[in-house]
Amino acid sequence: MVKLTVNGKEVEVPAGTTILHAASAAGIPIPTFCYNPRMDPAGSCRICAVELEDSKRTVMGCITQVAEGMKVLTESPKVHEARKTNLELLLLHHPLDCPVCDCGGECPLQNMSFAYGGADSRFESHRNDEPEDMKSEVLVFNSNRCILCGKCVRVCDEIQDVHAIGFINRGFDTVIGPPLGKKLDCEFCGDCLEVCPTGAITDRFVRYQFRPWQMEKTETTCTSCGSGCRMVVDTENEAIVRISAREGLGPNEGSICVVGRFGFNAVQNKSRLESPHFKRAQRLVPGSWEEILPKIAAHLASLSSSGEGRVAGLISSQLPIEDAFLFQRFMRQTLNSNFLDSDARQGLMNMAIPLVSATGSLRPLVDNQDIIAADTIVVLGADPAAESNITGLAIKKAVRKNKAALYLVHGHDVSISTRAREVIRLLPGTEESFLSMLREALSSGTTALSSESRQRFQGLGATPEAVERLLSDLRASKRTVFVTGRRFHRSDQGFGASAQLLRLMAERNMFASEGSGLLVLPESGNDLGVLMMGATAEWLPGLLDATNAEQRSVWENHWQAKLPSGGGGLREILSGIEAGKIRALISLGVDPFTFLPDTGHIRKTLSKLELLVVVDLFQGPLSDMAHYLLPAASPFERAGHVVSAEGFVQPLAPAMAPWGLALPESEILLRLARQMGRALPFDDLSALSSEVFRIFPDLRPSTRNAPYFQGKTGEILLSLPRVQPPHKAQRESVLARVASFVKADLPATVAPAALNATERPENSFVLTLSKSINHAGTRTLLDSNLMTIEGEGFLKVPRSWARKRKLKKGACVLLSTPHGRISVPIDPVAGLADGEVHYPLHFADARFLALFPAHLNFNSQSGAQSGQAIDVTVEPIV
Amino acid sequence: MAHSDSAATVHITDEEIDHICEEFGNREGAVVQILQTIQEKYGYVPAEVLERVGDDLGIPHSKMFGVLTFYSQFYREPRGKFILKVCVGTACHVRGAGLLVDKIKENLHVEEGENTEDMLFTLEPVSCLGSCALAPMAMINGNTYGKLSGDKMVEILHQLKDESSSEPVSEANPAS
Repeated sequence: MVKLTVNGKEVEVPAGTTILHAASAAGIPIPTFCYNPRMDPAGSCRICAVELEDSKRTVMGCITQVAEGMKVLTESPKVHEARKTNLELLLLHHPLDCPVCDCGGECPLQNMSFAYGGADSRFESHRNDEPEDMKSEVLVFNSNRCILCGKCVRVCDEIQDVHAIGFINRGFDTVIGPPLGKKLDCEFCGDCLEVCPTGAITDRFVRYQFRPWQMEKTETTCTSCGSGCRMVVDTENEAIVRISAREGLGPNEGSICVVGRFGFNAVQNKSRLESPHFKRAQRLVPGSWEEILPKIAAHLASLSSSGEGRVAGLISSQLPIEDAFLFQRFMRQTLNSNFLDSDARQGLMNMAIPLVSATGSLRPLVDNQDIIAADTIVVLGADPAAESNITGLAIKKAVRKNKAALYLVHGHDVSISTRAREVIRLLPGTEESFLSMLREALSSGTTALSSESRQRFQGLGATPEAVERLLSDLRASKRTVFVTGRRFHRSDQGFGASAQLLRLMAERNMFASEGSGLLVLPESGNDLGVLMMGATAEWLPGLLDATNAEQRSVWENHWQAKLPSGGGGLREILSGIEAGKIRALISLGVDPFTFLPDTGHIRKTLSKLELLVVVDLFQGPLSDMAHYLLPAASPFERAGHVVSAEGFVQPLAPAMAPWGLALPESEILLRLARQMGRALPFDDLSALSSEVFRIFPDLRPSTRNAPYFQGKTGEILLSLPRVQPPHKAQRESVLARVASFVKADLPATVAPAALNATERPENSFVLTLSKSINHAGTRTLLDSNLMTIEGEGFLKVPRSWARKRKLKKGACVLLSTPHGRISVPIDPVAGLADGEVHYPLHFADARFLALFPAHLNFNSQSGAQSGQAIDVTVEPIV
Repeated sequence: MAHSDSAATVHITDEEIDHICEEFGNREGAVVQILQTIQEKYGYVPAEVLERVGDDLGIPHSKMFGVLTFYSQFYREPRGKFILKVCVGTACHVRGAGLLVDKIKENLHVEEGENTEDMLFTLEPVSCLGSCALAPMAMINGNTYGKLSGDKMVEILHQLKDESSSEPVSEANPAS
């Protein structure tokens, strides 16, 4: 520890601390431009000058380390003089066009000039007048306003690891921008825009459309993926103008991805539903809640009284836990049906079921902080940067800062591939075989693989040398984190693979060692929360077994109601409708037409329903069939809480008034129950929240803010740590469960669908669907900003294949399977597994889904949809 | 800066670039030397070559471009076969370097820093070549020409033109 004084105030800090942090610890802020607490200090802007009293020298606070007995002055005349001179120099060429600058009003340079600068300057020079770089549709670079602090370049290097922009030229001619005069081509996270202390980088989507002080700010949580990013929504006249992060706020610590930052226009798309609709003469016509709800209620009441399981329900995994909790209670208690399911059935259930039976919890044992500290990170079937951006950032940081060994087991290269020690390219649907072989090899104790297992690994598409390296790293590693994602969960072998992975982890004692564990990346913002609340056929709230009478009785006693015992998920719902047993379906934001193939068959099945109630933001293929279409409030228009992949429970806050007559889903269900004369004991959403937190104290809101915030002029403000419920699963209780899980038999291994990488006929590939970083689900296709960034789906094909056929990006190919054919444009890329092509799922419309087999396949153990990879022929169109 | 002339742009295969990078052990620290080697061989550093070097060395393109634009020794556009480095330092200036430059401009129809249309010459006034005793002087592809006058300069230009037209046609390779 080192003792020093800052402005006469004594403070003791660890050796190696910078003056800036020491001062902040003493409660004394120092202004900064180029400093950002998440990055290594650069010391380039010279505005954090402080005086050392003894030596009478001014030094830079952000890069100078403290020394014993140092006497620091942060506000002496000499310091003020230094800062003023600095500002004079910084403003020498600055255009001072604040009146028309988007940054005006929230500009650290402006604020600092106000605080330290003067109106006069001792220097004379020309004002910069270079044209702006308008090549990018997303960001505008204005080199005239730039003070060359380099924060944007560093955030792109150190936080995002994307390296899209850099310094160009030298001296007075230096500008910031993308290389080679090209247009900006990056992940469009907009972090550079966020950290820029002037208006040098501005948001082109909302250029000249706002003044910062006229907007209302609302802190809320993004529900697009499981990262649970905290963000600030700026609104004016009940419309979202822009979204930003705030330095230090939330688990994302001030970063958000392209979908979070720019993807807010879908909810204010003109095609949003404004009022409830009902069907009259084959057409949906607008009506009022007062007129429509009693009709639905009466129909539901008569159906549910006629027996158990007459009504089924589907719920979107983007809805908050309050809605999920109410939904399952409404379904089970009010409608007497256990036919309910969520988006998680599309893949996550393959992992959730084994995970709950092994650990008893859906919360992870590790979070992003553990990833940063891990020795070995194994990413299985996930593209973290696209699926859960902040976890992607953590992985990149772990490799860059701590030299963690990263292994990517995936079919094709993703953005983290270049950081991986090895990329093990697995063909889709071979994950279980791979993990069981890996488990065997790990327990055999030898480092080198036998020639037989080498061959078997090769048969799955994996390079044996890469597997050997993984084995030796896994053996040596003290802190190992596995990350699983979309491709892994949605694999035909997803269920078995999850069980194998958990068994492997148990055998290697990873559940017991601090810092080791599994981080599951769900696809939506509240997948974990929806399952925890029991909005699925398998589980009651608290993950109690819905088929177990004893566990059911816990809730029966609590609610004073008999709960239905049978029921099922999506598979059972569809077959129940087909068999005429299920007479009604309520869908809260789930449209099966967007993810199930053979739309003709589903249309036929659903047309048997006597009541179809769809609650959604937009009209879609399912709502065209609906008897009642009800407008829902978007996540920006309502309150609630969502559970992130890391296990944080974070609030949504209404940033704008509900669209038209739209209502939150929970409000609609409460009104319906009241209309049916079976009112549930909650007056409103907040009563629902308190009930959820009362029953599940460990689900009380929790978050992780960085230990600092930045003030108006960039000064560091340390925030006070707050006590909050733990967000991770408890290791003791997990360990107790795991012991019995290890004893139980593993499910029989499903043989991989005969896929052999080496023996593929020409033009024959396996087609998979992948998630794009620029979109989330299909709703973002209605977002003008995101569609500007990525407005079309391209089939990713191996570059070598395209080159051989002289096909360039945008050339059309004919994709055919025994079930259908379609022409799509291609994008030749490097780093695809042999024999694989993939297509962004967002653009996979009904015509595209027709490539998949007509009959629906579901995993026999998890009920998750399977058959999401298929053999295709890709032929150039001549 | 000069405009690129498609006839004069050189085609460099990826393998050639890889080979040069390998000679320097693919070391990140050798990036300036690698770029110098490439420029020596091809006269300038084309965009796609820059990207390839970055890929080989594991340096992002944005950083490569930063290095390239930081040093004024690197050129991003093709240059003429003969680089006319005319000294315009103090001594040469006093002895009429300005007239020399004007004469070249007039004779070759180029501006400072530009290539001639036939890609034979690039006019590049430099501040001082350290041979003030020879003022006014110029340096053309490493050869020094001292005590010049406008007429002498024109003569040299004609000589160079004749030399190159008598040579068999080959790819532009100014530094050879």
